[in-house]
Amino acid sequence: MNGWQRKIWPLLTAGVLACLGSTATAQSLRLEPLPPPAKVKPELAKLGWHLFFEPRLSGDGSRSCASCHLPSRAFADGQPLSRGYNGTEYFRNAPGLLSVRLKTRLMWDGRLDGADLPTAVRDMVTEAHFMNADGRLIQERIRQVPELLALWREAFGAQSQPYGPQLFVAIAEFLKTLDSGDTLVDRVLRGDKVALPAAVRAGMVLFAGKGQCVRCHNGVLGTDGKAYRLGVPENPAIADEPLRMITLLRHHATMGVPNYMAERRDPGSYVVSKDPADRGRFVTPALRGLTHTGPYMHNGMFATLEEVVAFHDQGGGPGSELQPLGLSAGERAALVAFLRTWSAPLPAMAEPPAYDYWLTGSAR
Amino acid sequence: MKQHLARGLAALLLATAASLAAAADPVPGGFGPLPPVSIPADNPMSAAKVELGRLLFWDKRLSGNASTSCASCHAPQTGWGEPEALSRGYPGTRHWRNAQTILNAAYYSRLFWDGAADGLEQQAQSAAEGAVAGNGEAAMMEMRLRLVPEYVARFREVFGTEWPRIHHAWQAIAAFQRTLVSDAKKVPFDRWLAGDAAALSREAQRGYALFIGKAGCVQCHGGPLLSDQAFHALGVPRHAQSASNPLVQITARWQNLQRGVSEAQYKGSDDDLGLAYLTRNPADAGRFRTPSLRELRYTAPYMHNGVFATLRDVVDFFDRGGGEGPNKAPQLRPLGLGATEKKDLVAFLESLSMDQPLLLAPPRVPESKPLADGGMNARPR
Repeated sequence: MNGWQRKIWPLLTAGVLACLGSTATAQSLRLEPLPPPAKVKPELAKLGWHLFFEPRLSGDGSRSCASCHLPSRAFADGQPLSRGYNGTEYFRNAPGLLSVRLKTRLMWDGRLDGADLPTAVRDMVTEAHFMNADGRLIQERIRQVPELLALWREAFGAQSQPYGPQLFVAIAEFLKTLDSGDTLVDRVLRGDKVALPAAVRAGMVLFAGKGQCVRCHNGVLGTDGKAYRLGVPENPAIADEPLRMITLLRHHATMGVPNYMAERRDPGSYVVSKDPADRGRFVTPALRGLTHTGPYMHNGMFATLEEVVAFHDQGGGPGSELQPLGLSAGERAALVAFLRTWSAPLPAMAEPPAYDYWLTGSAR
Repeated sequence: MKQHLARGLAALLLATAASLAAAADPVPGGFGPLPPVSIPADNPMSAAKVELGRLLFWDKRLSGNASTSCASCHAPQTGWGEPEALSRGYPGTRHWRNAQTILNAAYYSRLFWDGAADGLEQQAQSAAEGAVAGNGEAAMMEMRLRLVPEYVARFREVFGTEWPRIHHAWQAIAAFQRTLVSDAKKVPFDRWLAGDAAALSREAQRGYALFIGKAGCVQCHGGPLLSDQAFHALGVPRHAQSASNPLVQITARWQNLQRGVSEAQYKGSDDDLGLAYLTRNPADAGRFRTPSLRELRYTAPYMHNGVFATLRDVVDFFDRGGGEGPNKAPQLRPLGLGATEKKDLVAFLESLSMDQPLLLAPPRVPESKPLADGGMNARPR
């Protein structure tokens, strides 16, 4: 937000709420419309688009970023728990990537800095339970594909050679181009004269008021980037399926959790802070593109938005930091109707062609 | 001065087991049955450890995507190696060298063709973790073992730890490998040395004479192991796949990059530098460890890159005086062998293998199961 917007913002939100007939709401609707597109270097983003779909970026050449971040699902994967690398099963839900450039924290436990997307990409590509690739090996693979090498040189210069760290920068540049599209909420927030269906209007008021959603779901993405404990039920697959418990416990081990073999549950941001108060806390998820990214929560335990709203209405589960809301069935339905307006139709994303390896001239 | 020191150190490092051959022995070349395997003080043998190692040797979970076990590239039915010239490597890759037999590997003081590992324990770890071999990540492989109740019990019994530890897995696999050795009673040449005159055919006996005489093989292939365990450059031709298979080219560049060669070498050459990766000495470029000749019948193809499919190919190569390349071993010179002599030599080489190959059936690998208390503790508290 620039200075001008910052000044007018409280007036604008007050105006919106006034239009909605809710002048009594003390809280402002602390949501912001999508800012202008990120400035990206087109050649770099184009290379990143190719690499995002490139299975050679995984250790065994079978999984690309797009394997768990499907364009058709707003870059989530539609599964409660993500599959992860071959031979593993992951213990969390794959989040969508729309407008990921605007997130302040990445990963459900918030362990990565949203301002440093290339590092996040590197983590996904090299992490044993995601793509399990060796950075140097994949750079040599890229070098062996003439079409990719040509794209590389357009992005990094005619004399350049594929180089692991730059590869992650290219994918990050592509990620910056993924935006959620113009939604009804954006138009309202910009002050456009929009005819809002009654339920949506009511949901918006509840979102900012009685539902208290906006306390954590605010800003451009509908997230404050902070971690909270909601007491979401454990996903039984983690205890029941050894492959998922393996990735969960290994995560504890590699993050330096003391006595990690005694853990059985997803510790959330505790693994980052090692502060017991952070056990079971997960970063507030963004709300943009929500209708495309179910199932919901860090472990995919809720299949529908209705379940999510009902869960929040009851004040969450054991240990929750939420309060019961006392919403009526109609109010819950209105909230869901409002949440749905945060998703624009997904534009189809073309997949790059699959290129073959070529031979390099032998030295002898 | 510095270079001399480095060379001296490398020689010391590599000559330990060669002393085996140098010991005074009435038999020419120091031949004889293999002695008992020497056991490292920090990894004593036990039946339970060997049995655990046997299970782990076949366990595909000791790789990145749970697709590749030790036995995937070191299969008993193909001489505990691979029938392919260049090893299949990890899925999505192709290795750049031949998967050599692990039979009698217990006798090598340094492992891998280029001597990169100083023992079977380190070799097992390197193979399981290397990006073009097992591509496994240590913490992941360790946690997989911990979710297998049978392994938890076996590691506890063998190593006394509450949970399996990955370095113990390499120890167990090494212990298992120390049991995979030739049995002198089943090896014609060993029986012949022991006095059974009928154990070698006339061809093989003539081949033996060539081996220790005209052909000069014994210069490097002496001692009970029939290897001096030293590193020699023979000028073995490149494998055709280094020019025809993109995956091999990728691996060759990656190996050079990974092992920290000069920028010029990385950008300008895909040569396999062999021992020089370890010693950093250009005079060691192209040198590979002399392989044992035992069990040769079952371990084709031959050489570090598997470029020769048959023993006759190998004999022809040595008869020519080897190939072209840097630092070529002075022992190599054209031999002038006739066709019969070559056949005799091959007959002798074949007598160095057991009458029947050493085979083991794959074991039933134990299953992963949910942690016993996982369900209970996973309930909301």
